[in-house]
Amino acid sequence: MNTQFKKGIVEMCILSLISRKDMYGFEVIDTLSKAIDVNENTVYPILRRLTAQGYFETYVEQTNIGAPRKYYRMTDLGRDRLKQYETEWRSFLEGVLKILGGNYEG
Amino acid sequence: MKDRYLYSLRKVLEENRAFARDIEDIISDYDQLYEDALASGKTDDEVWHILGDPKEVVQELIESMQLKKEKNIKTKIVATMPFISLIIFFLLGFVEGLWHPGWLVFLLIPISAILFESKLKDGIVGVTPFVSVIIYLILGWGYGLWHPGWLVFFSIPVVAIIVNVDIRDIPVALSPFVATIIFIVLGTYYQLWNLGWLVFLIIPMLGTLKHQNKVQLVLIELSYILAIIFYLYMGYTYSAWYYGAIGFILPLTLSIVFGVIKIAINLRNDKKARILLSIILATIILFFVLGFTVNGWVWAWQVLLVIPMAGIIIYDKVRLTALMPFISVILFFSIGYFFTLFHLSWLAFLLIPIVAIIENA
Repeated sequence: MNTQFKKGIVEMCILSLISRKDMYGFEVIDTLSKAIDVNENTVYPILRRLTAQGYFETYVEQTNIGAPRKYYRMTDLGRDRLKQYETEWRSFLEGVLKILGGNYEG
Repeated sequence: MKDRYLYSLRKVLEENRAFARDIEDIISDYDQLYEDALASGKTDDEVWHILGDPKEVVQELIESMQLKKEKNIKTKIVATMPFISLIIFFLLGFVEGLWHPGWLVFLLIPISAILFESKLKDGIVGVTPFVSVIIYLILGWGYGLWHPGWLVFFSIPVVAIIVNVDIRDIPVALSPFVATIIFIVLGTYYQLWNLGWLVFLIIPMLGTLKHQNKVQLVLIELSYILAIIFYLYMGYTYSAWYYGAIGFILPLTLSIVFGVIKIAINLRNDKKARILLSIILATIILFFVLGFTVNGWVWAWQVLLVIPMAGIIIYDKVRLTALMPFISVILFFSIGYFFTLFHLSWLAFLLIPIVAIIENA
């Protein structure tokens, strides 16, 4: 699969995961890699970029294993972006499924 | 392992001119990621794989980072350097009559290109050939010290080693050059060729210091000292230098028995190291052959430039930009010396920025 295309999907998945609950970096990597075939080392850079774009904000919370952890929380801007992504993606998928099912106007 | 990972990551970030605040933030995040991955039961190797090679990580991260703008300023300096050099050249020529060696200011063009357009480490290594040429010409023209002035070219591999080699390995890596310099100076100025070669013993003696077993280490070092004393005693008392050399069988045997000498075994498996070592030996032999047979001390040092070039070709990919500093030094000196065209041959240095621009375009 095209790398850029895949990155777009991973970006949307990260937005979706963090829209449901606040997560820390490794939790995002772990959850994603269990669900889809993803190049794990691209996750943090995407997470960081999305934060820099204002889609997430971060806060630090104390843990019982040692150093405090940085959590990612979705912002309103992030929610708008996710909605936009979902709309685009659903319409794209519908089109693809139509073509695969032979159900399209030629 | 974690420290090594974070250290590599920090280094790559710094090389890419990331801002300090970004570096600290990213390192702290990766520290946490590493800890969390370990806590989830992953091994160090698995964590390294999950987090990714630091170079690839930084390539991915670059989009989200602001990079220092100094690069633009540096590019401007490099771009204007030919004009600055020309102005200085004319000023020196018309005002002071220093057309020669005023042309040396044109060396500022490749020096600035290498210093500002490459990463700091590469820049320092790349500039060394030019600085060496300048010092060599000053020693030669100014004081007639073509020999042993050529020793200044050792600064090329020496600087490369200091910049690139782990600090703990530096003494051993530098010892062959330091020993050769001492040997040549002792021989040239004090005619101590016969005793001077003993300085080469610092190479195995320093190398042995890395041996883990301290008792064996002390025994080997003591055996060297005993062998030296025996050699000097036999030489001075009975003029039996050759018999005296037999004593060196003792440290040699101990080194083999205690497993200190295993470089040869490693080399057998490392094809690249074997080729490079052969080239180093061949060029050094060629240098001395040219020096002694045709008295080519003034120009034969150029064959030594083959060593760093071979290192680049064997261990890195073949990039003309990296090789050009050496090629242009050879062109500059050969054309200048053999055809007495130094006033024109400096133009060879312009090839460096030209090739860099063409190859990186």
